[in-house]
Amino acid sequence: MTQTRRDFIKRAAALSAASYVSMNLPIDKSNIAKAEEGVAWHRGSCRLCGVGCRVELGVKDGTPIGLRGVSESRTNFGYVCMKGMHFWKCMRHPDRLTKPLYREKKTDKFKEISWEQALDIAATKFAEAHKAGGGKAVAYYGSGQALTEETYFFQKVMRGGLQSNNVEGNPRLCMASAVGGYLTSFGADEPIGGYSDIEKAHCFFIIGSNTAEAHPVLFRRIMRRKLDNPNDVKVINVDPRVSQTSRIADKHLQFKPGTDLALLNGMANVIIQEKLYDEGFVTTYTSFKKGKGEESNFDEYAAQVAKYTPEMVAKTCGDAFTADDVREVARWFATSKGTLSLWTMGLNQRKQGVWANNLMHNLHILTGQLMKDGADSLSLTGQPNACGGVREGGGLCHILPGHRPIEVEKLRNQVETAWGVPAGRIPEKPGMHTMAMFSAVNEGAIKAIWINCTSPVQSLPNCTLYNKGMDREDVFIVCTDIFHTLTTKKANLVLPTAFHFEKTGVYGCTERRSQLTRKAIDSPGDARPEVWIIREWAKKLAEKMNDPVITQCIKPFEGLEEGYALPKAIWDEYSQKLTANRDNDLRGATYKVLEQMADGVQWPAPTEEYALTGGTVKKFVKGRDPMADSESKNDLPYQFYGPAHPDRKLWIWQREQADPEEIPDAEYPFYLSTGRIIDHWHTMSMTGRVPELLRANPYAYVEVNPKDAAKLGIKPGDMVEVKSRRGVNLLPAKVYEGPIEGMVFVYWHDQHEDRMINKVTKDAYDPGSKEPEFKICAVQVKRVSGPQALTPYIAN
Amino acid sequence: MKRRFFLQLLATGLSGLAFSPRKTGAAILKSPIGTNRLRPPGAVPEELFPGKCIRCGRCVEVCPYRSIIMLDIRYGIHAGTPFIEAENVPCYLCMKCVDVCPTGSLQRIRQPETRMGLAIINTFTCLAYEGITLCRTCYDKCPFVEKAIRLEQLKPVIDEQHCTGCGICTNACPVTTADGKKAVNIEPIYASDKVTP
Repeated sequence: MTQTRRDFIKRAAALSAASYVSMNLPIDKSNIAKAEEGVAWHRGSCRLCGVGCRVELGVKDGTPIGLRGVSESRTNFGYVCMKGMHFWKCMRHPDRLTKPLYREKKTDKFKEISWEQALDIAATKFAEAHKAGGGKAVAYYGSGQALTEETYFFQKVMRGGLQSNNVEGNPRLCMASAVGGYLTSFGADEPIGGYSDIEKAHCFFIIGSNTAEAHPVLFRRIMRRKLDNPNDVKVINVDPRVSQTSRIADKHLQFKPGTDLALLNGMANVIIQEKLYDEGFVTTYTSFKKGKGEESNFDEYAAQVAKYTPEMVAKTCGDAFTADDVREVARWFATSKGTLSLWTMGLNQRKQGVWANNLMHNLHILTGQLMKDGADSLSLTGQPNACGGVREGGGLCHILPGHRPIEVEKLRNQVETAWGVPAGRIPEKPGMHTMAMFSAVNEGAIKAIWINCTSPVQSLPNCTLYNKGMDREDVFIVCTDIFHTLTTKKANLVLPTAFHFEKTGVYGCTERRSQLTRKAIDSPGDARPEVWIIREWAKKLAEKMNDPVITQCIKPFEGLEEGYALPKAIWDEYSQKLTANRDNDLRGATYKVLEQMADGVQWPAPTEEYALTGGTVKKFVKGRDPMADSESKNDLPYQFYGPAHPDRKLWIWQREQADPEEIPDAEYPFYLSTGRIIDHWHTMSMTGRVPELLRANPYAYVEVNPKDAAKLGIKPGDMVEVKSRRGVNLLPAKVYEGPIEGMVFVYWHDQHEDRMINKVTKDAYDPGSKEPEFKICAVQVKRVSGPQALTPYIAN
Repeated sequence: MKRRFFLQLLATGLSGLAFSPRKTGAAILKSPIGTNRLRPPGAVPEELFPGKCIRCGRCVEVCPYRSIIMLDIRYGIHAGTPFIEAENVPCYLCMKCVDVCPTGSLQRIRQPETRMGLAIINTFTCLAYEGITLCRTCYDKCPFVEKAIRLEQLKPVIDEQHCTGCGICTNACPVTTADGKKAVNIEPIYASDKVTP
């Protein structure tokens, strides 16, 4: 034997030592303290949902190491959810795009090119498209996750430079009906109150929102309020599906999808019949409207809702609750010391989205549950910057920055003057809304489209139809993103961008709150901030089109450093020049102020001094809203100065129950609704790359009511086919007392072609807001096989 | 690898085992069952299991989720028996394995009566108990909603009346500690039932 005795003993000793290693080592506290050394914490907002949580990113030696909540923040008070806690892991993810990628034909493989080449190609293609079809042949499709500076700058170049109002964004798919509702009912977009009402509310009316999953940090506040005051605070949940949110509800009203308009009218009827409305408030502050805005009055309105008796409502809604439930809920709503309504996509993503929003506001106006503490009609936003960037910054086809409708010449001229471009440069007609835009792509009418920070291939309803257009070789698609998505797979040019905390900019969340995130780390590889990309692209565009007006659009931003100085200059131009004296006055919310605030500023905030107090908590209230004072026309305490209502009143609308576009029939007997799950964000391109989150929910599934499951022979985990007139999905089933009988529910995050539920959903849209009806369509449900092992899929 | 070297290694390992102070020698007999290491549903107590199971592999074959794996030679007399590593692939309680077991090592049992173990939350590592992150992944994933895991003041609480020990919560738990465990772990407390006096 070559082994000596000594060697042998050594090895034996090593083996026994190894067996001891599994013992718990004593934890030395000083080691933990040392781990924190050299970590700098950078403040910013969370990258994910619309709550607007304030977070801090820990950075050590230029590498992100963790994320924590900011306890002084008035949005989240230090709490973060699982998504929020983990999104920083995307920053140094190996899948990050680091080089511009190009292919001439969509069937080719991508090859890496330089920024110089990439921007040159993008400019050439947009110039060619513009030459061929003018402003109508080019389009920008942005995102409620882009920073305000990015959305603003993109639409400036599109409108002022390329003379195109084809500026849209994915908030059309989630917020447009809320915008329509606020404008038609209150005369001004965005809620009157905010989150601070949660701690003062005595009745929560949560309709069409699974707050517990979609806005978990906000739900904590609602839950805290309820748990601390179990007897004084009532929670009403109205949803066809029993969700996590229903858990704290005193009453859950389940109804047949699409019949909630009847329920809301029925509640108004009870409130009028039982004289629970606030007569003084209604006479002083309210006008009545019907149809497209014709005058009406209280008696006509009372007569219109009179047919929605509680009995009729219970029957219309599918008999899942009783007439007395309607009465009780209406009483709670009207008589509480403060009623706060919360909703999201359940009301918005509907063919009657604006009407549903109107009916919701009607109840608040009727009962005077507005403007006082704890009372508000609060539409929750899904995305972190749908309010700030897209609704306020001019990111939709029909609005200019500062809540300016595009049809009004005076307002167009204000913008043109601020930009220093010739009058009449901005086209007077609104551009194409999202569904029209992608229909135009299908027809080849749009020759070049820029898709920024979103994945329409997966997120459009009836997506198979619209994906055909994006496959066309004569449609040039540029994508700016941090990861490959299903949409980059249809692009000609993919530009790698900087992620959150790798660039500077402002996010505006649900409650009119603008918050700044400063650059904390460098981007990997050659990824660049969007603002730099736009500027350099526009520069080349000006050369190729030989158009000095395009140069004028980017002139104030020439030569500025893209990490801070450039976004700051863009924000200054937007906030100082374009929000001045508008209802979203942000002049006080300068970078200097935003940097000092733990949690940002709520507009209107006309001066820096006022912005430093945190801004306006309640709009329209004299003494609490500087604009209510400056725009005051009489002695009344509430001043409705919103731009859309010349009579300066709140409007109660007569809106009838109207059916969704597609109702189940013999052939397609089930309702299908879609929604979100706590662990994933939208199309999963970020959260799907975080192992902790992916493991919790690796793929989408279909929720089936146990009674339906028994009829169809579906057992938990069985593979189930969900088929509509448009497409088919094959998903595992979860048999669960969630959806009402006759309805199935599917999560929409999964990228796998078998489980992408938007292939099945319906692309009908609201005639006013143009927001599609994701929430309701008719499907067949069929068991295909027993359980199968599935693998998650992330496009890369 | 040369034959000689292999034999040397083997000899070293074996003698190391003999000299080991922790009675590693018993490893051949030692049951592999422990935290997050479970037998399939309906398994007889561990004392009987290796004697009763004939290592036919039918449960492994029938499991649609590949939750059940077969132990290999390293596990001594337990080699060939079925085994679930809860944090890798948990048991989704489809109850197919109990139907195919020819020996009754896995006894026919209804889904809610399955007791593979009991989920135990480590309140020192659980994010919800830490109080900052609003995590309730285990609660969301539990197949017995509001029964086996419920939330009390936003913190998950396990009810042993209903917990089947399926390990779905363990698998989903976003916390992995340095020793490879989760913030919620399955302890196979029922496997140690004594049947012989």
